Amino acid sequence: MAAEARSPLMTHLVAFFPSRELSLAAARGMIDGGARYLEVQFPFSDPSADGPLIQTACSSALEAGFTVARGFELVGEISALAGVPVFIMSYANLVVRRGVESFVERAKAAGAAGLIVPDLMPGSDERLYEIGARSAIEIVPVVAPDVSEERLALVRSMRPAYLYAALRAGITGRYTALGSENHRFLDRLRPLGARILAGFGVSSPEQVAEIRSEVHASVVGSALVRIILDAAAPGGAERLDPERLRRRMGERVRALSGPG
Amino acid sequence: MKIYNDFFGEFGGRYVPEVLRPPLDALEAAFLAAMGDPAFLAELESIRRDYIGRPTPLLFASNATREIGGAQIYVKLEGLANTGAHKINNAAGQGLLAKRMGKRRVIAETGAGQHGVASAAMCAKLGLDCTVYMGEVDIRRQRPNVFWMELYGAKVVPVTGGSRTLKDAVNEAMRDWAGSFADTHYLLGSALGPSPFPDMVREFQSVIGRETQAQARERGLDVAALVACVGGGSNAIGFFAPFIESSEPRLIGVEAGGRGAGRGNNAARMSGEGALGVVQGYKSLFLMDEDGQLLPTHSVSAGLDYPGIGPQLASLGRTGRVEFTSVGDLEAIEALRFFAREEGIVFALESAHAGAHALRLARELPKERAIVVNMSGRGDKDLFIAARALDPDAWARFLGEEAASYGR
Ligand SMILES: Cc1ncc(COP(=O)(O)O)c(C=O)c1O
Repeated sequence: MAAEARSPLMTHLVAFFPSRELSLAAARGMIDGGARYLEVQFPFSDPSADGPLIQTACSSALEAGFTVARGFELVGEISALAGVPVFIMSYANLVVRRGVESFVERAKAAGAAGLIVPDLMPGSDERLYEIGARSAIEIVPVVAPDVSEERLALVRSMRPAYLYAALRAGITGRYTALGSENHRFLDRLRPLGARILAGFGVSSPEQVAEIRSEVHASVVGSALVRIILDAAAPGGAERLDPERLRRRMGERVRALSGPG
Repeated sequence: MKIYNDFFGEFGGRYVPEVLRPPLDALEAAFLAAMGDPAFLAELESIRRDYIGRPTPLLFASNATREIGGAQIYVKLEGLANTGAHKINNAAGQGLLAKRMGKRRVIAETGAGQHGVASAAMCAKLGLDCTVYMGEVDIRRQRPNVFWMELYGAKVVPVTGGSRTLKDAVNEAMRDWAGSFADTHYLLGSALGPSPFPDMVREFQSVIGRETQAQARERGLDVAALVACVGGGSNAIGFFAPFIESSEPRLIGVEAGGRGAGRGNNAARMSGEGALGVVQGYKSLFLMDEDGQLLPTHSVSAGLDYPGIGPQLASLGRTGRVEFTSVGDLEAIEALRFFAREEGIVFALESAHAGAHALRLARELPKERAIVVNMSGRGDKDLFIAARALDPDAWARFLGEEAASYGR
């Protein structure tokens, strides 16, 4: 499937949640369902910007044996599947601990298209933007509705190809009722000329449709993590069955982009 | 030293998601304005005098000194501050600031519960709504403080994620704040987190050091060393603040040695295996694995059981101005018993770590010299832990009878 034929969606999963095999199956399902981008979260012990659902997914992924090295291997495998660009999302400490340079190089080698590290923003980035530019890997800033003009100018000066717009304040997981202020926020971002990835509380086809013309892609996270969580729960229908999880995920992602 | 530094050497900074930047920028501006406003400072001063009960005494521990037979041991009795610990100094400053910023609600994290109690009390006094996040493990081991917080009208929210201790309470407070900053102030309780918190907490806690300096001068003491326990680092940095830029006296931070060496057995970052990281909005040294995942910690004291350390102390440790050492669970409990018997004062378990090291140090120094140890808190909150450690049978009998009396 060509990139243009894919849906304007970036779908999110937590690497190794609930296991390496099942997270790979979920990624395959997302690709089957037509997602244009995948966002693979590397779990951190202290995910202070995430809600309960992704917290649970992260601690379970760590118990399932996630390590940064294994995470890069998984990203390599997913990247090779169908040419769907994979972005790695994580927290600053995993990047800083390994060394920004080494993290970026390893991500690039694994075939990742970019990195999303919300707590390494321009000006407080430990040279992530500079190193990313040198290695030709996209570093995606995450901005929120109250961002000042001054900060937006700094973000713009990094010339990001992609810009992640968090549609509301707060943490991941809670549903976002889209209103005029969301559209105004997206209007403010347009002049930056970046491809806008909009997320935080986007879980329904209606939301995806509502912002479709204003964004490059909608990011759907917690809603899909929930599908995996349910499948992984004791008694979950797809328990330990990668093929069924893949099918279910494919259907769900397909449904997100709505009819036509 | 400047009031606002942001970075201390390579440590500190403001490594936060963009959503938290506007409230931190606003807080920085409000803090700097308040510190230059005589009306704010006068109000803080009157709260210090009439509500907190400052200045706190500097006690000559004469019996302990005689018993050890070395340097003179002095104890700065921060535990006599209203609500039982130094935490109220910071809660008062930030509480007034929250009010000044027009916030109606305050959130706080707490480990030992002392910062939670201080925040809850201050909010009661100032008419602010208060929510305190506390790890489930800490709720269990510091239950008396949960009761006091609720009595002051605060809502205590158990934190069930991660290790269910102090660091997880900080995470949960940050999550709350990311969605609530419009009407809510995050009253962070230690000298850590994104700027301006480390600077702000030091400024509000530096009253401990200034009083100690004046009291020591008044008595003509030849102070060889100041000793303080270090959780996140607020009592230590406040106690040390006026002395940081001179070369004397020695400044010594005491970390939790817990059960001894080895991963998960202690909270020794400077005197142990802390590594460079960026966590909870600041760059410092943290106990973590090769990938950067934070490690579990252990201490008998809930307030020292934290995998990171405030950035200014990390920097002062690097430069050598502050020395670090550690004291284990058993030695801390022994110091608690010793000071109770010798001096009639009960240290909080956190502070008892500093007390224990002061006893070690007194043995090595001559009689003419003085050591001042900061008793950052008093030990009332540790009744259950101390009794279990020191008199388990009688205490178990009492608890059994007490529990049975509820069934009747
Ligand atoms: C009495 C007492 N001392 C010390 C601490 C440790 O905190 P800090 O290092 O910020 O002083 C606590 C924390 O709860 C405490 O309650």
